[in-house]
This record gives sequence, structure tokens and C-alpha cells, in this order.
Amino acid sequence: RKRMRAGAPPPGSSRGNLGNGVHISEALPVITSASFSSGLGTGAVMAPPVRYCIPGERLCNLEEGSPGSGTYTRHGYIFSSLAGCLIKSSENGALPVISVMRETESQLLPDVGAIVTCKVSSINSRFAKVHILYVGSTPLKNSFRGTIRKEDVRATEKDKVVEIYKSFRPGDIVLAKVISLGDAQSNYLLTTAENELGVVVAHSESGVQMVPISWCEMQCPKTHTKEFRKVARVQPEFLQT
Amino acid sequence: YVPVKGDHVIGIVTAKSGDIFKVDVGGSEPASLSYLAFEGATKRNRPNVQVGDLIYGQFVVANKDMEPEMVCIDSCGRACGMGVIGQDGLLFKVTLGLIRRLLAPDCEILQEVGKLYPLEIVFGMNGRIWVKAKTIQQTLILANILEACEHMTADQRKQIFSRLAES
Repeated sequence: RKRMRAGAPPPGSSRGNLGNGVHISEALPVITSASFSSGLGTGAVMAPPVRYCIPGERLCNLEEGSPGSGTYTRHGYIFSSLAGCLIKSSENGALPVISVMRETESQLLPDVGAIVTCKVSSINSRFAKVHILYVGSTPLKNSFRGTIRKEDVRATEKDKVVEIYKSFRPGDIVLAKVISLGDAQSNYLLTTAENELGVVVAHSESGVQMVPISWCEMQCPKTHTKEFRKVARVQPEFLQT
Repeated sequence: YVPVKGDHVIGIVTAKSGDIFKVDVGGSEPASLSYLAFEGATKRNRPNVQVGDLIYGQFVVANKDMEPEMVCIDSCGRACGMGVIGQDGLLFKVTLGLIRRLLAPDCEILQEVGKLYPLEIVFGMNGRIWVKAKTIQQTLILANILEACEHMTADQRKQIFSRLAES
């Protein structure tokens, strides 16, 4: 493997054995823009060398920087947890904050306890699968997947038979809360077991947007048929008429 | 065929996984049938259902958003003729319209067929009929008659029945 570096090797990257037997060598290739733009010619202005890093790469010592977003600390060193550009913000006095950024804006991830807006993609007798579209009031660029289990649909009468078909339908917009980051299939576990959570926008079988009547029914203004949903009690100041 | 709640259908067991059977009913999705949905079935006393068996049951859940669920038991827990269909016999398909005609309250075709031979017959609303008579030849004759009833007029039918009754 060819090693390409613009400057001195990063401090703290000498060979060493970490306590648990992991051996990190310096042979991680660091690709810099200097190596790419070497053929540009004298007229081109060279951008300052941008350092890219990969997850698990050891960046520096804790004495030389403090960890920011996209990094984690282990055994007194700072490691990168994302694949992206390394950014050092030099502050006056305090240690520089070292962070790794993938794109210009950092992706907002749903946290445990955050209210998310999602759209139901498919239903099953045991759970409903949803696409998470908004976290709070910011839209997500890539939608995440979530699951609302049958037990988490209602707060009261959980033991009574809750029919997912009478609470959600595919295509409904639902306000839910994250209870867990989920299993290996990266499905967030969500709940609607509160009065303010549940279906906000739903379309009837005839395709018209329905109006909520109670906490468990919505009515179509065109055909006047009632359908069962688990309706969210939205605060009056947020309703637009 | 589009599954409708409450319809009685004939299904073919295609898979057995854990607690449920997957039953092909001729719709877009196989229906699921729990092993507890038979008369007298408990966790210890499992019903004797194998892959490839014919099942006569009704739908409890059938809508356009979820996979259909069927049971072989009515709301009181009695079988009412539902369950695994016995050995022998012949399963064949007809159009959905013919099934509804045959199951109408005053159906002459059924009365005439009953006078011909002693037989057992099961109609599924998904277009499937299971017939069993004493001999294989009689079974095949009955199957052919029922399939042909789709296109015959009443007179043609009476002719055929009288010819069969003579021979």
C-alpha cells in the first residue's frame, strides 16, 4: 500500500499495543487533496489540504485536542467514528475541538424521547412499519425506518385487543415518540401511547382528507363515512383552518 | 379472487411455520391460519394438518392493507363443517359467478345433480369446488357437468341429465 502524506505524520500514531491486544500500525493510507491535484499545473490555486478519515482511525491524543461530533475517545486517544473530513477548530485558549463531518450539514438523528413525524408504509396484525420524515420540525434528507408495535399504540386498555387496522392505515401521517434506537435492522421503535400522539393526517377510502371526530374516529367530509384511527389531540394553536 | 371477511373458501396448505399455516386461496397473498383455529385444538392437541391438505374455512380478517387471516371455527367455537377436507375426491376451479349461482337459495342445478348420484360436495367462494362420489368415473362426470353448467341453457342441461340418468 502506498502511503501519501502532505506533512509530518500525525502525532501519536506510532506503533503501539493497546491494552486489549489490538495492534494499530501506521499503515493506514491518508489520501490528501495534494496528491490528487499534483497534476493541475502552476495556474491552479491549491486548496488547503483536506484530510479524510475512516471509522476507527486514530486521530490524535486527548492532550492535543478535545473530541467533537463524529469522534469517540478510547484509552486516551481520539478515534473517528465516521468516514468524512477531519475538522479542527482552533479556539483561543482552550484545546482545539476535533470533529469529523460527512457533508456540509450534520445529519440530525432521532434521539430517544424525540417527537418524530412519520408516514405509515405497511401494516401487519402485530405492528406498523413507518418511514420517519421529520425529527421535531426539521425534515430529514434520508428517511429512517421505524416500527410501532401493537402494544405501543394506546396508553389505556393495552390489554384489550388493539387492532392495528383500526388505528393506522398505509399512507397516514403519524406523530410518534422514539422509545428505542431499535435492533440490528436499524428500525427505530416508536410509540403513540399518549393523547398528543397518533394520526394527524389521513385519507379516506375515497381519497379525501378526513376530519377527526373523537380520539378513535375520523370522518370523510365527502362521503360522511367514519373510519377508525388512533387520532392525535393536536394543540389548538397548531391547527390551521 | 379478492378475499372478503366472512367468505367460506377452500384453501391449499402451502407452508407450515411455527404456529401458523400459510394457505393459498387464489388471492394476491396466501392467508394465514393459526393451528388453534380448529375445533378442539389446544396447545397440546395440535390438528393433523400437512402441507398439501385442503382446508375449508372462513376469513376473519380480509382487507386491502393486510394479509388475510382465516379460521376453521365459527364465533362459538364449533367447526360447522369447516376444517381439513377428507381423502380422495377432486378439486377443480370454476368461475366466481358460477359459484354464486350454485349457492343461490333455489338452484336447480344442485337439486338435479343430487338426484343423479350420491355425492359429497364443497363449494369455496374463491372459485374452487371439491367433489367426491362413489367411483372415480362418477366424480369426473360430476366435475365435467358443473364446469359445463357455466355455458349451458336450462334445456341443454335437462337433456344431459336425462341422458345420464338413463345410462
